[in-house]
Amino acid sequence: MSPKSCSSELAREMSGRFKKLAATGFVLMFLCSSAQAFDLQQLSTQLARPQVIHGDFIQEKHLRALPKPLISTGTFVLAKDHGLLWQLKTPLQQDYRITAQGIARRNASEWQMLPGKSAGAEQNRLFLAVLQGDSSGLQRDFELQLQGEASHWQLTLTPRSVLLKQIFTRINIDGGELVQRIELQETQGDSTLLKLQNSVSNQPLSDAEQHDFAQ
Amino acid sequence: MPSERWLPRGFLILLLAVLALAAWQWRHGAPLSANLMELVPGESPDALELSAEQRMQEPLNREMLVLVGSADRQQAIATARQLGEVWQASGLFEKVQWNLQADLPALRQQLLRGRLAMLAEADRTQLIQHPDAFIQQRVQSLFDPFTGFSLVPSQDDWLGLTGRIQNSQPARGSVQLDIGSGALIADADGKSWVLLRARTLGNAFDMQLPLQVAGLLEQSRQQAASHDVQLLAASGLLYAASGQQQASREITWVGGGATLGILLLLLLAFRRWRVLLAFVPVLVGMLFGAVACVAWFGSMHVMTLVLGSSLIGVAVDYPLHYLSKSWSLKPWRSWPALRLTLPGLSLSLATSCIGYLALAFTPFPALTQIAIFSAAGLVGAYLSAVCLLPALLKGVELRPAQWPLSIAQTLLDIREALLRKIPTPALLALLLAFCAAGLWQLTSKNDIRQWVGAPPQLMAEAQAIARITGYQPTSQFFLVRADNQQQLLERQAALSERLDQLVNMGKLQGYLALNQLVNQPGAQQQLRAALDQLPHHWQPLLELGVSEAALQNELAQLQALPEQQIDDALSGPLAEPWRPLWLGNNPEGVAAMVSLQGLNNASLLRVQAQDLPGVQLVDRLGDLNRVFAATQISAAELKLLSCVLIVLLLIAPFGFRGALRIVALPLLAALCSLASLGWLGQPLTLFSLFGLLLVTAISVDYAILMREQIGGAAVSLLGTLLAALTTWLSFGLLAVSSTPAVSNFGLSVSLGLAFSFILAPWAGKQEHKPC
Repeated sequence: MSPKSCSSELAREMSGRFKKLAATGFVLMFLCSSAQAFDLQQLSTQLARPQVIHGDFIQEKHLRALPKPLISTGTFVLAKDHGLLWQLKTPLQQDYRITAQGIARRNASEWQMLPGKSAGAEQNRLFLAVLQGDSSGLQRDFELQLQGEASHWQLTLTPRSVLLKQIFTRINIDGGELVQRIELQETQGDSTLLKLQNSVSNQPLSDAEQHDFAQ
Repeated sequence: MPSERWLPRGFLILLLAVLALAAWQWRHGAPLSANLMELVPGESPDALELSAEQRMQEPLNREMLVLVGSADRQQAIATARQLGEVWQASGLFEKVQWNLQADLPALRQQLLRGRLAMLAEADRTQLIQHPDAFIQQRVQSLFDPFTGFSLVPSQDDWLGLTGRIQNSQPARGSVQLDIGSGALIADADGKSWVLLRARTLGNAFDMQLPLQVAGLLEQSRQQAASHDVQLLAASGLLYAASGQQQASREITWVGGGATLGILLLLLLAFRRWRVLLAFVPVLVGMLFGAVACVAWFGSMHVMTLVLGSSLIGVAVDYPLHYLSKSWSLKPWRSWPALRLTLPGLSLSLATSCIGYLALAFTPFPALTQIAIFSAAGLVGAYLSAVCLLPALLKGVELRPAQWPLSIAQTLLDIREALLRKIPTPALLALLLAFCAAGLWQLTSKNDIRQWVGAPPQLMAEAQAIARITGYQPTSQFFLVRADNQQQLLERQAALSERLDQLVNMGKLQGYLALNQLVNQPGAQQQLRAALDQLPHHWQPLLELGVSEAALQNELAQLQALPEQQIDDALSGPLAEPWRPLWLGNNPEGVAAMVSLQGLNNASLLRVQAQDLPGVQLVDRLGDLNRVFAATQISAAELKLLSCVLIVLLLIAPFGFRGALRIVALPLLAALCSLASLGWLGQPLTLFSLFGLLLVTAISVDYAILMREQIGGAAVSLLGTLLAALTTWLSFGLLAVSSTPAVSNFGLSVSLGLAFSFILAPWAGKQEHKPC
């Protein structure tokens, strides 16, 4: 009766979950689309407002050993009641989906749950907490610092636990009317920058998108 | 007479010596043991198997697994943290762990070192056979925002081998890491359960520790309950604690009940306070038994104490033998009464000892202990009854109550009346019919679990923990032997292939084998060779901006990685779950275990090991249950042998026919008891059989008493009745024990005693008109 697999457990967990947490970080910010006050409480209440957000993204992965960043682009759809569709278009095509069930990847026309991550109850809960406008989930693992004005603000997430500090230095999220930038700074010197552009919150889910979430 | 002078003195000297020995034995506290495994046949066929078993059992006896559950996740974590601190400070534990504080640098280092040795088979095959796809997947993972994270930074592992190793670690259970607190948490039943593991300083067989740990757990449980937090715990320690508590409770009930009952009986029958001195032989007997047992085995098992407390009823029979002569011997004087009954007493001691010692020749240390304890106890009781008690009772004039005698007379009259209507042969035929029908219904059942009166609450908690965490360790495991490490890993791989099929079929939840951690040297070689082709395929990586020099450099590093042996692989933090499996080198080669999880069909396992050289299933419980069944047969043989011995012993005083008759009665009584078990729907267990073995020895006494007929049939029957009553008081009380084995023993002895008493009068019938 002894789960001895601490380290292997950890290694497996880390391979997916921490990144997912980062994903959660920017999900939070998608939802901060109409932040008018700089009080986290108020920010939270606004998170739940938009039903659906459509937009484009540019992801820059800065690896310290590479002279230029790895750049990828695509579109995303965030639906309050369903989850997130992340559609990578260049340089390669790949669709991802994050829902309460976990992370799935599209292979041919089938959605396939990523092994080992499908049961990531912890991060999914966190993710959903964010979707529902509950920032307390994030506050548990990070120090949240909000600065600036309604038209231009910055939220900094600093990890609290020793374990997280070994992975992330911090996560910066910038927004104006809508979220514009998410930057993840890893302890080992790499960083990822997500630029979110052309976000709109007035389009309902298309049939295809609804189908993707339903599968 | 001079013997009346020196006998008590000599005995007192002996008693003092034994007392001194006892004091020396107890100098470090009670030499008691609660280790169940000490009670079952211990001789494993070989040392390796034994050490493997010990390795597998060690955590059971030292570790406690606790789930701290609350509907409020934060409350559960906070309580687990607090619990961890309190327990660590208690001084009972070597280590209390509720969260992970992983050493990431060490993890990274192990992953880097193990890039060739630890890469899983599917990844290996892809690299060797489809290098293009391998590189393509790597490129993809570099862009992937959700799954691309690796403990090792990209520039140290452009090929992404460490990430693949991370992902291929076997997933076990449904426990998740809470990244904020580092706690391991499972969600079930609307609650979050934080996993806490505690490792004690001593083990479950330490007499104090289990009770202390159980006490601490109970305290923590109550504190947690005040915050609406529920604790679930599982550990061998808790079973040991409950076993100890149960044993002491039962010793109190059985011992106390028998003592009170016997004292009351003595007072009612003999109406003299000093007759209570007849209890002295009982105390002396217990002392002798305990001292002999500790001297022989080094310690005494609590189960021996429970069963041994029944000795009270047998030991008191010796003084009863001559006390009951007060109904016929008038005036009754202690020494003359003793002289009159001494031959009977001595015969009785001899037959009882033969009966008990027959138990000693079974392969069960449990029974050997009981045999030694009881035989020594009987000798002690006999000696004090013969040497000391008459001196203590000197000058006592016994004028016993007449009502017991009239009861005995009434019983005899009833018997006579019955015999006039139905003659003995007809009765015998009826009895045999009863036996045949009963035996027809008798079923046999043997299971080590009968030895453990596991409280339902402990079982329920252990099951809940298994359900919530998904950790379902099984006691069976495979032992794999080989000449060298290469062969060992090959053999384990062959076994893994079969086990994988069971896992896919849902017959097995999972398993742990060294070949999951480290590849065979041959596979490592193959992988190293395949690296040479990679430069032809890594163009996509170059296109991302990775410099060719960096890739070449990485390739050179990989090729320079030394071949990993099992010991190398086991040294890193990732190897923690596998470490206990490696048994290392032995004179014949090397050996390792394969542990199993969530098994639902044990017989399937045995098949897996078939025609795999060096692979052996170790199934201790299954083996034990088979030994139980085999021992039943040898027990029956022992029983017959002990009867032959007793017949030989009795030929001198009673002649061959008389001896045969005296022994036939207890055998018939045993047969009736067996039949009764069948009628009652009770299974025949090894223990009930041993109980009957014992009854044969004890009830030979009754037959002897009845046959001797000193003082008339009524007086003899009264003596038999008193002896049977006292014995029944102590054995019968065992039947209420919550340990199935003990209660089964008590039941079969009680039945045997009842039948022996009923049949005893037939022993003396032929005395006056021998045929």
